[in-house]
Amino acid sequence: MSQLVATPIPAHAGIGLRSQHYREILEEPPPVAWMEAHPENYFGEGGAPLRILERVRSQYPLSFHGVGLSLGATDPIDSTHLRKLKALLDRFQPTFVSEHLSWSSVDGRFFNDLLPLPYTEESLNHVCARIDEVQTELQRSILIENVTRYLTWRDSTIPEGEFMAEVVRRTGCGILLDLNNLYVNAVNFHLDPVKFMDAIQPDAVQEIHLAGFDHVGRWLVDTHGQAVYPEVWSLYEWALHHFGPRPTLIEWDTNLPPLAVLLEQASQANAMLGACYATPA
Amino acid sequence: MPRLHELQRAFASAIVEGKGLPSVTSLQGGPSWRSLALYRRLIRHNYIQALTITYPVLHRLIGGHYFGVFARGYLKRYPSTSGDLFAYGQHFPLFLRQLESPRLLIELARLEWVCHELHQAADSPLPSQEWVKTLATVDPSSVTFRLNPAVRLLRCALPVHRVWHALQPEADGDGIDGLSQSSEEGGLLVTRAGGKIHVRSLSPKQWWLLQAVRDRKTVAEVECMASEFMPDLNLAQFLTGLSDPATGPVFSLEVHT
Repeated sequence: MSQLVATPIPAHAGIGLRSQHYREILEEPPPVAWMEAHPENYFGEGGAPLRILERVRSQYPLSFHGVGLSLGATDPIDSTHLRKLKALLDRFQPTFVSEHLSWSSVDGRFFNDLLPLPYTEESLNHVCARIDEVQTELQRSILIENVTRYLTWRDSTIPEGEFMAEVVRRTGCGILLDLNNLYVNAVNFHLDPVKFMDAIQPDAVQEIHLAGFDHVGRWLVDTHGQAVYPEVWSLYEWALHHFGPRPTLIEWDTNLPPLAVLLEQASQANAMLGACYATPA
Repeated sequence: MPRLHELQRAFASAIVEGKGLPSVTSLQGGPSWRSLALYRRLIRHNYIQALTITYPVLHRLIGGHYFGVFARGYLKRYPSTSGDLFAYGQHFPLFLRQLESPRLLIELARLEWVCHELHQAADSPLPSQEWVKTLATVDPSSVTFRLNPAVRLLRCALPVHRVWHALQPEADGDGIDGLSQSSEEGGLLVTRAGGKIHVRSLSPKQWWLLQAVRDRKTVAEVECMASEFMPDLNLAQFLTGLSDPATGPVFSLEVHT
């Protein structure tokens, strides 16, 4: 592969690169502006995944969306994980690199889930130091994503939106705004999603995620296994007018449908982005 | 100890040991067990999914219910130690052995872990028949065999490759032709080519020779061993047969000057 440079991602819709769609995507590259990949799926030394990612990268700008760095953990950052991530960034030159504002491990034990942080001064200092460390190691800024949570820490003293805004101010990182997560939290905990979006810096929002959720008992659960719900599309419309058009991912991980369904959802996002371009703020 | 660390530890204990977590509230300010039950369920689901992806044939063989029972037991005994789930199932064959599971399941799990590793192993050099020419021009004692990175040798107590082949999604459904080990079966050669995993049964002689290749013997040493113990074997033909591009190049040669 010739030397790549990161290409800007236009404010259009993209889709996630999933192994179930590899063949279809390679045979007939779909009409999307960009693709997102989980870097952990390409941490191996060789094999088909890396070759496929090379072919995809030759046709699309990429966004790397990490799930395993455990940014908010108090254990040391896994240097092997970070080194593998850096090697991938050097090789594939993605436009964005993102991780979650969450933790996944303690005392060496991983839960491989995106667990919520208490929003306290201590967490803020800790997370900012960790993001600094990661950005220094990767030699670039990252985006951090707001996560779904199914509990509230009694220690929390800072509203989530303000917490994220302060992380951005201190570290220079950007925000990957997940509107499905925002909606799920808002319903589960009777929160106002607009308040969150009012608290963060519009310029910091560089990518948006849209996904579907499931109803599990009394909870809305962020499963990424459904089409985007109308309520989340409404929130998206509000966000586009508030922040302006942004690259938007249709995120679908479980119960994966045919590629055509993802593309239809991406078209819907593109239509709303188009309307946003056409309407002056 | 920092408060954040204490809170994360308390959360972990609540998830793993079922302890309460007074530092959190659930829906509408409700008790923490509701949240913790949901997290337990989501976390467990992720791990079972990860193991299912790593051990698809075993999953097909014993069915989702029993696979889930094993997977839950595995999670308790071998919790994840990495943010990268690729490595999560590494100890599953050992776990099955510790449970004194049927030998077939243990051996099949060993084979599937090898297959899983191979999916992301370093790429092998392109297959080439040039090695024959190379050998003709150099001193065989200065040339070492090297097993390619996307190749594994696996000694199994049962011919699990038959089960593995029979339970592939594209298998023709002919079933499994017995599970007794034939004297002609010495071990398995597992390779990756074209993004696919190939599993071949080796005769005892082939196994023995490939072990020498794996152990980085020189060509002269392998020739010597072959002529002493397998005088009927045509070494060049045997090695050529291993270099089938359809199943992936098995070895390469390193010439030492």
